[in-house]
Amino acid sequence: MRSMRVPRSPKVLVGLCILGIFILLTLIGPWIAPYDPNDTSFVPNLRPSWQHLFGTTTLGQDVISQLLVGCRVTMVVGFIAGTLATIISLVVGLAAGYIGGRTDEGLSLLSNVFLAIPGLPLLIVINSYLPAGEQANPLVVGLVIALTGWAWGARVLRAQTMSLRDRDFVEAARIIGESRWRIMLGEIGPNLLPIIAASFLFTILYSVGVYTTLAFLGLTNVATWNWGTMLYWAQTNNAALANEWWWLAPPGIAIALVGTSLALINFGIDEFINPRLRAAGLTARQRRRVGMARRPRLGFTPVQRSEVRKKGASS
Amino acid sequence: MMEQVTRGDIVLEARGLSREFAGRNESGLFRKKRRVRAVDDVSITLRAGEVLAIVGESGSGKSVLARMLARIVVPTEGELLLRGELIALRERRTAAYAGEVQLVLQDPFASANPVRRVRHSLERPLLIHGTPKEDVVVRAREVLASVALTPQDEYLDRYPHELSGGQLQRVNIARGLSVNPKVLLADEPISMLDVSVRLGVLNLLRELCDTRLLAMMYITHDIASARYIADESAVMYAGQVVERARGTRVMDAPIHPYTQLLVDSVPNPEKLSKQSSPTAHNVDSTHFNYEGCRFSPRCPQVMDICRGNQPPEVDLGDGHMARCWLSASDAQRTAVKILAK
Amino acid sequence: MNEDSLVPVLDVTNFSVDYGYGDDAVRAVSDVSFSLGRSQVLGVAGESGSGKSTLVYGLTRLLRAPGVITSGEVTLHLAGERNGEAFNVLTASEDELRQVRWSQVSIVMQSALNALNPLRRVGKEFDEVLRRHDRTSSKTARQERAIELLALVGLAADRLQRFPHELSGGQRQRVMIAMALALRPELVIMDEPTTALDVVTQREIVSELYELRQKLGFAMIFITHDLSLLVELADEIMVMYAGEIVERAPAVELHGAPRHPYTLGLMNSFPPLQGDRVRMTGIPGSPPNLKSPPGGCAFHPRCPSAHDRCRTQAPPLVAIEDGHRSVACWLHDSSSTEVVPVSLSRRAASRIGQGA
Repeated sequence: MRSMRVPRSPKVLVGLCILGIFILLTLIGPWIAPYDPNDTSFVPNLRPSWQHLFGTTTLGQDVISQLLVGCRVTMVVGFIAGTLATIISLVVGLAAGYIGGRTDEGLSLLSNVFLAIPGLPLLIVINSYLPAGEQANPLVVGLVIALTGWAWGARVLRAQTMSLRDRDFVEAARIIGESRWRIMLGEIGPNLLPIIAASFLFTILYSVGVYTTLAFLGLTNVATWNWGTMLYWAQTNNAALANEWWWLAPPGIAIALVGTSLALINFGIDEFINPRLRAAGLTARQRRRVGMARRPRLGFTPVQRSEVRKKGASS
Repeated sequence: MMEQVTRGDIVLEARGLSREFAGRNESGLFRKKRRVRAVDDVSITLRAGEVLAIVGESGSGKSVLARMLARIVVPTEGELLLRGELIALRERRTAAYAGEVQLVLQDPFASANPVRRVRHSLERPLLIHGTPKEDVVVRAREVLASVALTPQDEYLDRYPHELSGGQLQRVNIARGLSVNPKVLLADEPISMLDVSVRLGVLNLLRELCDTRLLAMMYITHDIASARYIADESAVMYAGQVVERARGTRVMDAPIHPYTQLLVDSVPNPEKLSKQSSPTAHNVDSTHFNYEGCRFSPRCPQVMDICRGNQPPEVDLGDGHMARCWLSASDAQRTAVKILAK
Repeated sequence: MNEDSLVPVLDVTNFSVDYGYGDDAVRAVSDVSFSLGRSQVLGVAGESGSGKSTLVYGLTRLLRAPGVITSGEVTLHLAGERNGEAFNVLTASEDELRQVRWSQVSIVMQSALNALNPLRRVGKEFDEVLRRHDRTSSKTARQERAIELLALVGLAADRLQRFPHELSGGQRQRVMIAMALALRPELVIMDEPTTALDVVTQREIVSELYELRQKLGFAMIFITHDLSLLVELADEIMVMYAGEIVERAPAVELHGAPRHPYTLGLMNSFPPLQGDRVRMTGIPGSPPNLKSPPGGCAFHPRCPSAHDRCRTQAPPLVAIEDGHRSVACWLHDSSSTEVVPVSLSRRAASRIGQGA
């Protein structure tokens, strides 16, 4: 597709690489984990070594195995919650923004309510009602997280839809007799892609963060391995006091890396999706190559004399 | 299957169309909403194989009129008849109506979805209006050819930003034509285009009108282009038609002071008259007069009667109409005086 | 023409502008030279993409990134307190430029609505401009001057209390013109000031500009795509195509006897308001893409008189007819054996002043 250009920015490439590694680990993590994460038969409190790359816990478990196994659940919950929240926010945002009137009032009220309720306490409450078995089900947990995370995206999409609603191309679609939902999904929707993508990335980040927090607080099934439960066990076993950094740091760094990669990818979204928005402007590197000292300022067009390139064989 | 149409048949008729909008609020604690009549009691007929030009400046209500005819905007008052049949304006516009009356918008760049290819905007109307899937591609190529965009493969898979304004406007016209409408409303179709390609698009519209016996409404602020293309012209000012005539009479022998001003204002190197250029009476006026003649605050020939009384539509013969007290008969003027007393 | 017009206000030689840098650069204005005399009106005509706006924004160095001036000299001959000083625009510092702008050269843009701050009353804008120029002036003096300026363009004094959105398009453009004239500049640049207005308002503003020019004696560069408007207003017209000047001539002569096929095509793109209705064709094809301009003469793919030489060699702008007009077209080359169409030949000169 011509509209999807290969991103040139190094930021995006780095982001995609990091995320790619984590997605790969999500797929194969449990298989490449060297040991069973529940196996307590190792010497406890070992520092990182070739036998145990990230050391062992107080309970004698292998840290890297926990990290690799936990990656899958964490990422899956993040993606499920991100996808569901994006779908909800898209439907609500489009409908509120395009249809307007009563529909808009109702949906806006709903999203404002969800925005006003603090997400984490609500999650804790909902989660406590879930049967213990369901607390380990990524789909259920993802759905619950999505319920608290869709409102912000819906508001942004509503605003953008409202500004697109009165554009001529939407009116042109109405003139040829296009149906309402076709206009929303077929005409306005593709124009929202950069925002949808950005909101998708951030809800994934939010979901990973929230899921980890819930698990860290011991509110999910602590018997399943994810980065949050790793931190939970580290905390309950006073890993910080014992200065067992190899136990605490890996899940934290993993979360930070996932977050960084998503943020980096977000930088390139506009460039990636919108065929028009690639600025013809110059990068600092280009500028230096042609020997320009500083960024051109408004109201002071630079003069950059070069050999006059003759067009054709004239004069 | 299709009923026979002959040139000159009335296809679409509007009777007394009006549209009010909520105006800007008056300032003050107890605000009163002022109603603004964007279009006021406009009656027009569109005939097969003919072009009706609507000439007016921005704010004259000409675009709102077009949108009412396309049934994108619901009129506050008035009737619409398509081939003699009264249209139920309060009900939702049917797909069949959209198939018969098409509107081409002014800005070719804004009216093309930036992230959709040309193919999409040509094929959607065909699919909506019941063209079988296997015929769609063939039909899309046909309409592209009819607006002189060939070879078609060069255009079908382009994005709007890869085309020039003139090409894009042709795509828009093709989109309107693809469903074989009987009426084509063109809202300033050339004003956003490069000067050198404007005539090409105008000629195309005229040809389509002649070959397909389309009933066409050409909306413009450029009275010279109206003269070039139209069979009948109407001049709008502040929501009303102030003058209307067949052929080029509106431009060649204008009666209404506004039309005269309009004609005299067009840059015309053939009669270089730098010093004695006409000037409206009061250039500093932003307001229309809603009590009397709407043009009266700017009219160079304003009379007392104009300020407080709506001028009547005066028939000057041969379908030439002017809405002006200057043309009114003595009887019409006296009637007002008697009423005033 | 009076003697003033022999005193130059602006001299431009070999002026070129690129968009972008290095290999991505697109030439938007190419090797333009002209000079403008005192109180002269120079019209610049051309379609979008012809480089007409780029040229004047480049001359004032107001062009935004990624615009870069790549060659040329621009000399402004100052007046007023700095009378006689030759100001080199391309080597000047930002401060020097700032002093010259508005007081010596001012610019009126197409959209007054974008140029005026929506949150400020008109009077405040005037006050700013006048105060920036003369910090010692009193507030009442500035206000009086603002009222005087508004009167100049036919607006009542109470407009000073208004916000831009409370004015009509024509009134806003008048305000812009009054502000441009506030410091009695020597040169006023008008970038399509009337394109967004209806014809009646355009007519009023153009005739006002004409009178103001007579009264105040500033020189003017007027940009528009409407050649017929220029014929009425300008002393001399430059027609641009694809970043180059293709023809330059006194206004009446250009209109009466165009020499470049593009000029002729442009003139035939406007249906006339009188005479019989005849089918006209405009110019076939589309304006060129500057990223990949056609070889040879940039106009050749659309030119009815194009021949082999036009496809390979770009014609230079050369003086013709005793040097008082110039054209860039091989048809008028002395070595050319091509038959010049009657509409572009010297014989057409008899058309001047005659109805079409």
